Amino acid sequence: MELTTNHFLFLSAALFIVGMMGVLTRRNILVVLMCVEMMVAAVAITFVAFSNETQTVNGQVFVLFALAIAAAESAVGLAIVVALSRRGKAPDVNEMQALRD
Amino acid sequence: MSWDVIFFFVLAAGTLVGGIATVAAENPVHSAVGLLVSFINIAGIFVMLGSEFLAVLQIIVYTGAVLVLILFVVMLIDPENLPAFYVAQPLQRYVSLLLGLVLLLEIGAAIITRTAMEAIGPHSPAWIESAGGNIQAIGQVLFSEYALALEIASLVLGVGVIGAVVLGVPERLGRMAGLEKATISLGHSRGLNPQLPAGHKFETPMDIPAERYDVPEGPRRVIMTKSADEYKHPGETAQGTRR
Repeated sequence: MELTTNHFLFLSAALFIVGMMGVLTRRNILVVLMCVEMMVAAVAITFVAFSNETQTVNGQVFVLFALAIAAAESAVGLAIVVALSRRGKAPDVNEMQALRD
Repeated sequence: MSWDVIFFFVLAAGTLVGGIATVAAENPVHSAVGLLVSFINIAGIFVMLGSEFLAVLQIIVYTGAVLVLILFVVMLIDPENLPAFYVAQPLQRYVSLLLGLVLLLEIGAAIITRTAMEAIGPHSPAWIESAGGNIQAIGQVLFSEYALALEIASLVLGVGVIGAVVLGVPERLGRMAGLEKATISLGHSRGLNPQLPAGHKFETPMDIPAERYDVPEGPRRVIMTKSADEYKHPGETAQGTRR
């Protein structure tokens, strides 16, 4: 049995789907943010696997940018959570409707 | 079975177990620990794929910075405020399971039927060796081809940090600095002044005469967009919806 790129792609797909189910089922916004980070990391595995297969470094550079964007996203998301909790709101995605009404 | 296959399956099992623990754990701190396990195993996968720089970055940025930030926020939030576990409709769970299976089948079919790309890229192992290693190779590509994108990424990071600080500043600090002159409220139209008539509707906030929305003793003006009778919320009286 030999290790191919497809192994890494299957691992990435499985991890992405686990994160997606977390985003769909959980109500705690902190866990939802963690699952989004997990999905970003799963896509990073795909990038690095294809970068390894085609022997280009560009895929790894893309992962670098995705890392920067994910860090900025989590900083803003957590600041929103802190601002919500300061107003006494629960960190519950089903009850966040301040922009709706 | 050679050793790299065994290493791959160990790392993949660790990654998936950590991910499932993140989704299934009831306590957010346990979720964060599951995510930590998952990320460290992903770093091992990156080493197997020959990108040591990204492995180190994964540990430093994700497990070192982002996860610690998440844990700080978990500690800041009142535990009584946390939503109950899985009180959402069971339909939601079944539909998500179905969606996940369908997506896994689709991606699996796409992976199995794809034709493998040839190793046509310019960055062969010999080229990386001549550049001095993985970090030097990434640096050469990053600072020549992607220099503009790097600048934009730094701009995004700076805007993100400024946005986080603006969102995180407590309101009284903003008042102390005189930053808040007025606020648009979704509350009732009388503001903090109970002498004004209830139920009066204004076309737009601009139509409100100045003496109606000026709060004499308040630190800032309140511009109301709804009448008092429309705005009912448990735990709040008609007055004093704004500080």
